[in-house]
Amino acid sequence: MSNKSKKYAMLFDLRKCIGCNTCSIVCKSENDVPLSVWRAWVKKIEKGHYPHVREFSLPIVCNNCEDPICVTVCPVNAGIKRPDGIVYIDPHRCIGCRYCMASCPYGVRYINPRKKIAEKCYWCHHRVDAGLMPACVVTCPTGAILFGDLNDPESEIAQVIAKNAVHVIKPEMGTSPQTYYIGLDIESVEAVEEEK
Amino acid sequence: METQVLYNITHQETFGLFIAIYFYLTGLSAGSFILSTLSYGFGMEQYKPLGKVGVVLATVLLIFAPLFLLFHIGAPYRAWHLFVYLNWSSPITWGSFLLVLYPINCIIYGIFMFKGNLKLTRLFGFIGIPLAISVHGYTGFILAFGKARALWNTAIMPILFLASAIVSGIALMILVCLIIGRFFSKEKTINKDLIFSLSKLLAWMIVFDLFLVGSDLLVLSISHSDAQAAFHLLLGGNFSFLFLVVENVLGKILPFILLVVPRFRNLVTVTIASILVVVGIFFMRYVVVLAGEFIPLL
Repeated sequence: MSNKSKKYAMLFDLRKCIGCNTCSIVCKSENDVPLSVWRAWVKKIEKGHYPHVREFSLPIVCNNCEDPICVTVCPVNAGIKRPDGIVYIDPHRCIGCRYCMASCPYGVRYINPRKKIAEKCYWCHHRVDAGLMPACVVTCPTGAILFGDLNDPESEIAQVIAKNAVHVIKPEMGTSPQTYYIGLDIESVEAVEEEK
Repeated sequence: METQVLYNITHQETFGLFIAIYFYLTGLSAGSFILSTLSYGFGMEQYKPLGKVGVVLATVLLIFAPLFLLFHIGAPYRAWHLFVYLNWSSPITWGSFLLVLYPINCIIYGIFMFKGNLKLTRLFGFIGIPLAISVHGYTGFILAFGKARALWNTAIMPILFLASAIVSGIALMILVCLIIGRFFSKEKTINKDLIFSLSKLLAWMIVFDLFLVGSDLLVLSISHSDAQAAFHLLLGGNFSFLFLVVENVLGKILPFILLVVPRFRNLVTVTIASILVVVGIFFMRYVVVLAGEFIPLL
């Protein structure tokens, strides 16, 4: 079903995101994601001193990079980049060596606690191939998530990316992420939990 | 700007203790093999007693090492995929072949050595040296290709791994020679010349290893922000005790002093120094693997 002339991308408009975690939950039910692991999650940070504070939400899914390091290092070719840009893992081939998890700059991969193989968000390619939108896109209550074909100038996402200042997470990693953000805050990317 | 993380998921451990043990064992094996070829390959007669010990150690260690990989991977019954679905851009694919070729070569080399066929021993010794360097060097590339982790993603990683492999290999060899000489040889005496010449070699390899660790740290300290975070983790964070005290002071600097100061030079200090080095290098593997993945990425 994959089409060479297509180039899928996802866009999170953080001006519209309210951090409600609907995307996290619908992803769990759509993709049968086990407890304790997430394919989509919302990282939340708080900036500033009281009373001048604000909470920022950063919804994170796999970036389905154009130059994915996880596919480069997979020893059994279980990571596969489709011509339309979606990066997925062949569940019958993965041996669970965790090298992709170690090399992914975004930490989006996890080992399925039941199957013991690596899994991640692949933009619901089973839905996309059937002509539907990914589950998080259809359920987002504020319409903050867009998904579509960048090679189609008529698609909404191509127009929004063309007309707005967009950013990706960690462009310096040289992976060319295809999940774009409007209003991405540098602190919400860089802040990590205090060491315990 | 004052920022606090309110919510984030916890990430799973990627490479854990098993991988650290695996790196340690391949390092010991490669170091032992290289020592064994000193006499049978390069004709250094004073190291002749090391030949047979070295090849047996190299083979046995390398037979146990891949078991830890099988413990580590999630689907060990699919390990044969590594030999069927090849991806030459992945160091693990290089390793799956090295881990087969190297022990086979060790066994052939050992068989000819025990049969006394010096010419073929020499040949397979020379074939084995690049294999031994690769079988441990590739583990450095595994970490160096993990480009998200600042502590791993340096070009110095393979050579740092090789240097520490040789350090740990020499120290293990000293211990084994002491035990064999003391308890299992016919004369029940220890070959002191051999031990002291090995200990001199060990001391200078420790200096080289310390130089590599130091240059790695120096570059980390002024590199990009992730690298600086890794630098602070090693020197002042959760891994500072293991890194500074166990790995470097007890595992390298103290043994170096014990080995080079003439007043300390006797069999007891050499034994203590070797034990410290063998333990210290284990914690070097542990710190590199676990500290590298300690800082969450997102």
